[in-house]
Amino acid sequence: MADYINVTSLNRLAKQVLAQCDPLNDLIVCGEISGFTRHYKSGHLYFTLKDENAAIKTVMFRSQAQLLNFTPQNGMLVLVYGRATIYERDGAFQLYADYMKPFGAGAAQMAFDALYKKLDSEGLFAPERKRPLPAVPRCIGVVTSKTGAAWQDVQNVIGRRWPMVKLLLAPVNVQGIEAEKSITEGIRRLDRDPRPDLILITRGGGSKEDLWVFNSERIARAAAACRKPVVSAVGHEIDTSILDYVADLRAPTPSAAAEMCVPDQADVRQKIFILQQNIQKNIQNRCNLCYNRFNQLAAAQILQRRHSQLTHRERELAALQASVQSAAQRRVQSAERQLQNAAAVAESLSPYAVLARGYTLTERQGVPCAVEALRPGETITVRSAKAAAECRVEAVHDLETTGE
Amino acid sequence: MKQPKSFEEGMDRLQGLLSQLQDESTPLADSVKLYAEAAGLIHYCNTALDKAKLQVEEIDASLAPGGEVSHEA
Repeated sequence: MADYINVTSLNRLAKQVLAQCDPLNDLIVCGEISGFTRHYKSGHLYFTLKDENAAIKTVMFRSQAQLLNFTPQNGMLVLVYGRATIYERDGAFQLYADYMKPFGAGAAQMAFDALYKKLDSEGLFAPERKRPLPAVPRCIGVVTSKTGAAWQDVQNVIGRRWPMVKLLLAPVNVQGIEAEKSITEGIRRLDRDPRPDLILITRGGGSKEDLWVFNSERIARAAAACRKPVVSAVGHEIDTSILDYVADLRAPTPSAAAEMCVPDQADVRQKIFILQQNIQKNIQNRCNLCYNRFNQLAAAQILQRRHSQLTHRERELAALQASVQSAAQRRVQSAERQLQNAAAVAESLSPYAVLARGYTLTERQGVPCAVEALRPGETITVRSAKAAAECRVEAVHDLETTGE
Repeated sequence: MKQPKSFEEGMDRLQGLLSQLQDESTPLADSVKLYAEAAGLIHYCNTALDKAKLQVEEIDASLAPGGEVSHEA
């Protein structure tokens, strides 16, 4: 009977032989990733590396996978650094990867293009999906590394421009294989939190590989599923990630994103100032109008009062005039009456009335004269009611003395 | 005068007051009251801006791998 060995020994032997082959222990293998899985519990990566003619199963343990600065994806052409040996249990010839990186720009770009096409065809980049940012957010959720420069930039810019806002940080890993999960979870957490009005996903500049995680399909879908507007700012102006296409607004840098998220307090102060001026001007005009109108009314009132005063005076004047007139009339009438009385008295005393009764009147040189004043030889006129006689005085006799 | 609930509400109210003041059918007595309210709001808004200080808070740090155990656990 021929010697035999069991399977365990065979596989161990093969492993020992392979271990002595130095080139297998320090490999750089170029191939395309397929059948990629990341064990949900252990975090180890399992995939098949292949080219046109051959394939090999590949394992990357979590401790190494954490240090990856890109997200391996099916179809991606990569360079795998590691060693190849037999996995004794299965007798499988396997590649153990210590490190890997996308091979050439072409590989990464291909994966990028494929994902872009897929998400685009689902309409995730559609312009009509883009929501406007709130004009004045109260709270901004920020998904970024707590230790990164981006976080500092965001705090500085927003603190200067609009310190009225609250920043709610979801501290995440933005590098390494865990970054994808961490960022995705950060986005979901901030979207569930009732406080933020919008979510800013950002990290500072870095190499293409450093930023590669932001081309992750999971992150893109998490951002697309957000109920709140999402702003992305990854790396610099020239770096465009899948996330940028999904986001409602893409900013070229973290600082620029911070500026876009909040209003500028200088503008708002200016607006308040203009409002204040308008309000001031308005009330001033209003008051002036009222004063003018009041003055007009007051002037009209004064005229009215003057007018009624005049009418009053006019009436007073007319009354005075009437009483003056009647007083004057009364005066004239009473004078007339007095005159008539006097005339009647005079009439009764008139010497001519006596003459009518047959008496005569002696006049000397036209003036009535007492007889005792006459001297012989004088010419006198003796007048009766009907005639006058020119006479010469012959003698004057004193009747009183002769009478006694 | 009642304080606005927020800065934005204050700004909106100011804008509203201006249009009310611009409306010529608003009686003068009301305008004077509106003017007084506007003056208070302007003071409120400016003070809010002067006093504002950026607030920063962190949500649960357990997002970072290798971080502390989630507080929800």
